[in-house]
Amino acid sequence: MKIIENNTVKEKAYFEELENGLKVIIIPKKNTNKKMAIIGTKFGSIDNHFIKPKTKQEVTIPDGVAHFLEHKMFEQADGTNSLDTLTALGVEANAYTTNDHTAYYFETIDNFEPAFKELLNYVFHPYYTDENVEKEKGIIAQEIKMYDDDPISKVFLNALQCMYNACPVRIDVAGTVESINKINKDILYDCYNTFYHPSNMVLSVCGDFEPEYIINLIKENMEKMDKQDRIDRIYPEENPEICEKFKEEKMEVSIPTFVIGIKDEVEDTDIVRKELLLNIILNCIFDENSKLFKELYEEGLILSEPDLEYEYSNIYSHMMIFSPSKEPKKVYEKFKQEVSRLINEGIDEKTFNRTKNKIYGRLITSYNDASQIARAFMRDYMNNIVSFDGIEKWKKINVNDANEMLRNKFKEDKMILSVIEPKN
Amino acid sequence: MSYNKVILKNGITFHNINSNKFKTNLCAVFLTFPITFENATKDTLIALMLKRGSKNLKTREEITSKLAELYGAEFDSGIDKSGDNHVLKFYLESLNEEYLPKKENLLEKSIKVLLDIVFNPNVENDKFNENFLEQEKEHLEQIINSKIDNKAMYALNRCVEEMYEGKPYGIYKYGYVEKIPEITAQNLYEYYKNLIATCKIDIFVSGNNTNVDRILQNNEIIKNLQDREPEYVKEGSLSNSNTEKLVEDKMDVSQGKIVIGMDLKLQNAEEQYWAQVYNTILGGSANSKLFQNVREKESLAYTVSSNYMRLKSNIFIRAGIEIDNYDKALKIIKQQLQDMQNGNFSDDDIKQAKRTLEATINNIPEEQDIEISYYFGHELSGNKTTIEEYKNKIENVSKENIVTIANSININTIYFLRN
Repeated sequence: MKIIENNTVKEKAYFEELENGLKVIIIPKKNTNKKMAIIGTKFGSIDNHFIKPKTKQEVTIPDGVAHFLEHKMFEQADGTNSLDTLTALGVEANAYTTNDHTAYYFETIDNFEPAFKELLNYVFHPYYTDENVEKEKGIIAQEIKMYDDDPISKVFLNALQCMYNACPVRIDVAGTVESINKINKDILYDCYNTFYHPSNMVLSVCGDFEPEYIINLIKENMEKMDKQDRIDRIYPEENPEICEKFKEEKMEVSIPTFVIGIKDEVEDTDIVRKELLLNIILNCIFDENSKLFKELYEEGLILSEPDLEYEYSNIYSHMMIFSPSKEPKKVYEKFKQEVSRLINEGIDEKTFNRTKNKIYGRLITSYNDASQIARAFMRDYMNNIVSFDGIEKWKKINVNDANEMLRNKFKEDKMILSVIEPKN
Repeated sequence: MSYNKVILKNGITFHNINSNKFKTNLCAVFLTFPITFENATKDTLIALMLKRGSKNLKTREEITSKLAELYGAEFDSGIDKSGDNHVLKFYLESLNEEYLPKKENLLEKSIKVLLDIVFNPNVENDKFNENFLEQEKEHLEQIINSKIDNKAMYALNRCVEEMYEGKPYGIYKYGYVEKIPEITAQNLYEYYKNLIATCKIDIFVSGNNTNVDRILQNNEIIKNLQDREPEYVKEGSLSNSNTEKLVEDKMDVSQGKIVIGMDLKLQNAEEQYWAQVYNTILGGSANSKLFQNVREKESLAYTVSSNYMRLKSNIFIRAGIEIDNYDKALKIIKQQLQDMQNGNFSDDDIKQAKRTLEATINNIPEEQDIEISYYFGHELSGNKTTIEEYKNKIENVSKENIVTIANSININTIYFLRN
């Protein structure tokens, strides 16, 4: 086992790759009773076109399959449902699907071992029938409709559709009521057999454990599996330019909400450093200490700190700024002006250091909770990152790095505005 | 972990939660007083105005840059209804000293900043800043109007409003737009002074610290606060007596939201533990009757659950459904209530529900804000049940107890949000 220790946050992580290719991370955490296990596969809504590793057959699937499959993993051939089994153990179990991965997890204080065995069992034993696939369509249709009524999901999705021309990140994770109706058990098995091989997965566990205990539990509870070749995923070529500058939709809401999107490019770079710098820059521009926020607050155009995020995978990279505002277009104009002012004058050292300190607080605070830790290590490791790197890179960045990144990444022709307006 | 209480002044209590589980310290100040239709709007406005500046940190920017310097200490405030009380909550989370790049006494600084924001507002000539107030009034109007934006929350609030029409619990926690114009910089400050002088004050600090009571006892702001006999409500009023009152609202939605508000008639405090087990079997987990039947068997919903509101002795059933399926969904939901009355649930159902509740109870000391809320609940109710006793009481609930609860239930209101 490889051990990485971080003295700043005073935690250790153990890394192991099993014979079947499963990557395992164990983060032992003293003084906590809470335990979390999460297993993720690199299969998200963007993976809708691929070549099956065994037969080399090329497959295109309907929108929403990764998410549908997540719903269908719990049912077992013996008629039990693993979500029920886990709930009966008193653990909190759930699953989620994103653009680039799907994950299954539980957190608990008691009954860790039986729950962990159940997790390892159900994720590696699919059971799809015509009947149970049909039954799920009604449930997922209601999930889709719930999000249809949610202005926040809408404004984000529209922003992605503005930024991207062909990249499948512009497709809703759950698909549509029409697309999920095309899903059948054969499609699910094709995807399962491709993407749920251990070599495409990361398992992360956090709690007060001896690492060997976890490794042994995994080895004892996983069947032997042949190695699998790498999966060839086929993605459409993405034009680096944006697709649409502006998109507006009307819904029954009290106030407009907006997302400003800034499209970036996928590049071979130190992604941890880049993410850290972009987060600091976004905060320097628009957090509640910023000059821009102060101005907009006083005009009543922004009332609380906007959500500031940078997201990336191997086929997309972008920033998004989300907030309600009575006049999104005005906010957008002021934002662009402020960006160009900062590019000309540079972010000053004092602002940079204050923001850098704030980000440090957030980095350390994220190690309070076992479930947050396990989740972060799983997600990062899928991108070949060790989560501690953020803290180490934090020590080495300075205001010049931020200003250089600001000049390179905040180009006006890469910006879009997505707005949800109230009806009437 | 240890918990102890120090009475700083009459009506002002410091709760010290010492725990080595966290890398942060969480400090909180809760102000508790009866909610009224007249003043609910002012209460929210006060929470907003306090963020605009204190005596020592004169503006919003001075506050936020101070927090950023304290390694991104996070300030947060919120407004809750707790039974018939309004509670203004202020939190400050900062790193524990052990994790700072350079040693400094961050806890003492954090406490000082938090108390300064809550108890030392920036006022001149006995009134709040007029410009700030105008901005915050507009802000408040947006907050109140935004209640329609989250459709599930809106439906729940509407159901509560119908059940408690004219009663304190029916008041919208953020207040009312029509009450905003009458508020002035002067009358709001008058109201604030009176509130601070009379409300119940609870101060919490959770983290791995020593001598926190000394920090608080030596704090000038605390020294200047006066003793009080706080008038908060222990036993609130019950819902209006309705039986299956039907309420329907229309909005441009693609999914219908059904909320069923029910009254429980409990004979004594012990029965609330029975109600918790009842609720968990009915709709409190993925194994519950509602989840299994409405969602898994009939595919009618993605979200369906029930919640027990202890302070009001209510259970609210909530589901997001296809609008045309209203009758079918209602019928299946009612069938579950009937099954509970008839004792059509197994010992396994009971055992699983108890485990779910036990897990929730075990988790209390694992999260700082949950632990604070738990002790605050004790403080308000006077209940001193320890975590072990709490688990025992759940464990001792019998099938008969659950059926007793099932048969005490009255469907007060059935609310439906549709297009």
